[in-house]
Amino acid sequence: MQGLRRYILRRLMTLVFVMWAILTLLFIVLKTLPGDPTAIFVDSNFAPEMIAAQRAAWGLDDPLLVQYGRYIWNMATFEFGQSFFQAVPVREIVFEKLLNTWAMVLPALVIAIVLGAVLGAMLGWRRGSRGEGTGVALLLALRSAPSFFVAILLLMLFAYQLRWLPSGGMVSLDNDGETFLARILTVDYLYHLILPGLVLLSREITTPALLLRSTMLEVRNSDFVDILRAKGLKERVVVTHAARNAMLPLVTDVAVSLALLFEGQVLLEIIFAWPGIGRELVTALNNLDYPIVQACFFLMALTILILNFIADLLYGLIDPRVTYT
Amino acid sequence: MSDNTLRVSRKWQMTRLFHTIMRYPSGSVAFAFLLVFFAMALIGPWVAPYGPFETIYDKDEMPIRLAAPSAQHWLGTTNHGVDVFSQLLWGARIALVVGVLSALGSVLLGTLIGLLAGYFSGIVDEIIMRFTDIAYGIPFLPFALVVISIVQPSIGLIIILVIAFLWRTTARVIRSQVLTLRERPFVLAARAAGLSELAILFRHVAPNVLPLSFLYVAIGVQAGVMSEAALSFLGFGDPNVMSWGLMLNDAFRAGAMRSAWWWVLPPGICLSILVISTFMVTRAYEELVNPRLRKR
Amino acid sequence: MAVLDIRDLTVTYRTAAGEARAVDGVSFSLEAGQYLGIVGESGCGKSTIAKAIMGILPENAHAGGAILYEDRNLLVLDREALNKVRWRHIAMVPQSAMHALDPVYRVGDQIAEAIQAHRPMDGVALRQRLDALFELVGISKARLADHPHQLSGGMRQRAMIAMALALDPDVIVADEPTTGLDVIVQDQILLRIKEIQEKLGKAMLLITHDIAVVSENCDQVVVMYAGRVMERGSHTVLENPFHPYTVGLINAFPDLDGEARELISIPGSPPSLLNPPKGCRFHARCPFALPLCTEQEPELLQVAPGHFAACHRAGDMMEIRRRGADPAAWQAKGLVA
Repeated sequence: MQGLRRYILRRLMTLVFVMWAILTLLFIVLKTLPGDPTAIFVDSNFAPEMIAAQRAAWGLDDPLLVQYGRYIWNMATFEFGQSFFQAVPVREIVFEKLLNTWAMVLPALVIAIVLGAVLGAMLGWRRGSRGEGTGVALLLALRSAPSFFVAILLLMLFAYQLRWLPSGGMVSLDNDGETFLARILTVDYLYHLILPGLVLLSREITTPALLLRSTMLEVRNSDFVDILRAKGLKERVVVTHAARNAMLPLVTDVAVSLALLFEGQVLLEIIFAWPGIGRELVTALNNLDYPIVQACFFLMALTILILNFIADLLYGLIDPRVTYT
Repeated sequence: MSDNTLRVSRKWQMTRLFHTIMRYPSGSVAFAFLLVFFAMALIGPWVAPYGPFETIYDKDEMPIRLAAPSAQHWLGTTNHGVDVFSQLLWGARIALVVGVLSALGSVLLGTLIGLLAGYFSGIVDEIIMRFTDIAYGIPFLPFALVVISIVQPSIGLIIILVIAFLWRTTARVIRSQVLTLRERPFVLAARAAGLSELAILFRHVAPNVLPLSFLYVAIGVQAGVMSEAALSFLGFGDPNVMSWGLMLNDAFRAGAMRSAWWWVLPPGICLSILVISTFMVTRAYEELVNPRLRKR
Repeated sequence: MAVLDIRDLTVTYRTAAGEARAVDGVSFSLEAGQYLGIVGESGCGKSTIAKAIMGILPENAHAGGAILYEDRNLLVLDREALNKVRWRHIAMVPQSAMHALDPVYRVGDQIAEAIQAHRPMDGVALRQRLDALFELVGISKARLADHPHQLSGGMRQRAMIAMALALDPDVIVADEPTTGLDVIVQDQILLRIKEIQEKLGKAMLLITHDIAVVSENCDQVVVMYAGRVMERGSHTVLENPFHPYTVGLINAFPDLDGEARELISIPGSPPSLLNPPKGCRFHARCPFALPLCTEQEPELLQVAPGHFAACHRAGDMMEIRRRGADPAAWQAKGLVA
């Protein structure tokens, strides 16, 4: 147990270090690349004095090191400042957007992992059947297909042609839920979730399915499976044993594929007008609203790091052979 | 091994690769598609009936907006009266240029970093590996969006960004490969023969990781094509170059998904076929360099 | 009465290179309480016999002939009927306990699982049974809660023995039960198996490449070569061998009584099973082969009461045993081949 505690501590320190490095990189990018947050005023008719006053208010005239220190401190304390564009604290905007993103990702991901694992285990156990070949070909095509085009196709078919499903948004305009929970605990939300959820599912299902298929093939030929059969156990029990073994690398693999979560998420949220953090980032970039940009980027990176951290710990829990040193 | 035998074995490898690809129906179909796209990229601009941004007018000097496919315009026109088929042909070139260049660049960088990290273990390795850790923590697309929004978008910048993110995978894989190669007898023999460390690295170790590097070129092409398409689709691509992503962006913003399927489907389908084909051919090659997969 | 009767067992593997007949017309029977050893070089088909008995041949294998347990042919039973026999009546101690135990389940649970599948019992009784089994094989019962990787190699093997004994079977098949263990642990394991065999009166089938192990433990011997039985009988097979291959095997191992003797190994290696040679399968390596041996396969004939051998020169055995003791006799053949 002490080893575990030390391991968690060390892993947390790595997390903080990587997060710091990423934030520093972002700071350098924002400060050194040609471009200026006050460009937002260039188009408008602000007087030079007003711009100068605003710059001072945002601390843009302080020495770089002071700005850097303040920036790191603010990020570390989740103090993201005021939005340039909408005069509200950034924190109020971005956390809600992050929640909205999870409202799309989580259900799809849970279903994808469970369904994918079962499907992959079945494919691996029945190697060589005709179903296996077709299943694998389909999974490979899904894995490599650009999911944003899949999204567009589904949208064209189900929202515009057939008009069965809404074309975008997380809830209808007349869904006046006061809180996040009140909004998503509705049929209306599920209705909006179907299309983006399907696209996410079609992409995320491939990782567990293909992985479990190949690990299952490997486990199937191992000696202990022979012994389980020799023990006179039912085939169902034998498959359960094999699946538990084949499942081990799943956590790591899903974590790796989650590192690429936001690549696709930004596109999906734009296509389905889902008010998530990816869409917020693009909106803020178009508005040159840098405090929001920073906050969105920070939260995305942090999400991925935390997911990886959890995956590492989970792996140790499900594989008895892992010891923490 | 003399130069001559090396060349022979390369040729033999190529033949084997070809046979591996052709063994699967999906492999040969994918290969045929790739040939078509290469042809499009090579001669597309010459055979394209119109320019990629050229508005076509009718007799009354009015732009032919959103015309459905016809003999005149095989794939119809856009809301600005641009010929979709011509755009599609021009777009193939950009897709392949970005794909191939970013793949080559990232593999070159990644292989070099992997070689150095794996061969000179210790502090060099430690530092490089921390860098890859950091690189893995950065969400690529959001980061690219931030950079492009500050700097002017251009094809060159997109290629650089893709390289900056793709190298990490190659570097990791090559490093672990080098770690095992380092202890092989032929390396030890070269060292005993008094070769300098750099000479051993580049003359004896590097040739042995090249097949693996090529695998990542194939993977990189796919990632490069997809990244360009995604960035352009979001409106962060090079506005002066016609690409499939840009076509989709224009179509999406013009609401063509409701009305003009001929504008949306061609770039999307081409993009899908290109990445799926690359993926299928990559898998065949992977099977060749990684025999463990063959049995599966 | 025979508890296990193997009649004309034939196992063929379909491989990319063709059909390999790993076991070719093997017959022998195991009486209650008997300790029978099957001995032969690796690849002679002895492990395949164990797999065939347990019904765990790989998918590309086809078995013919019969494996009779209480007049039921195990080879033709369906899965459900077979499950009622295996482990309940015929259990197995496999080659490598490291790979034979499921790495993610606790050892105790894996044994309990076998018990519950055949003879369900309540928690208290189960607990007592597990404790008793571990005590029998000499492992602390606290280890029942361990995962396989936490046990040493010897302990894992003993845990496998405990698992084999869990349902008090009539027959235990031990397939090279000491592979990968160091010599001292090997001896302990074999001693433990022998003790249990004697104490519980089990019928044991021991499969090994080590003729010394057979000599020390078994009262019945089957000598196999390239998928066929070369010689079988009681312990006298080792004292008065009637097949040059058995003579060679005995020569290849240190003397059982610790007497100093020059070790002779048989030069060459077993023939390909894809395309077995004409005549006696051993002729290419046999220093005593006659022209007849390359033409006609010898039959397994009774050479003494309960003692069978398949050799054209069984009648010249006195001379062969004498000449076979001389290393030069084997080396000469080795050079020619």
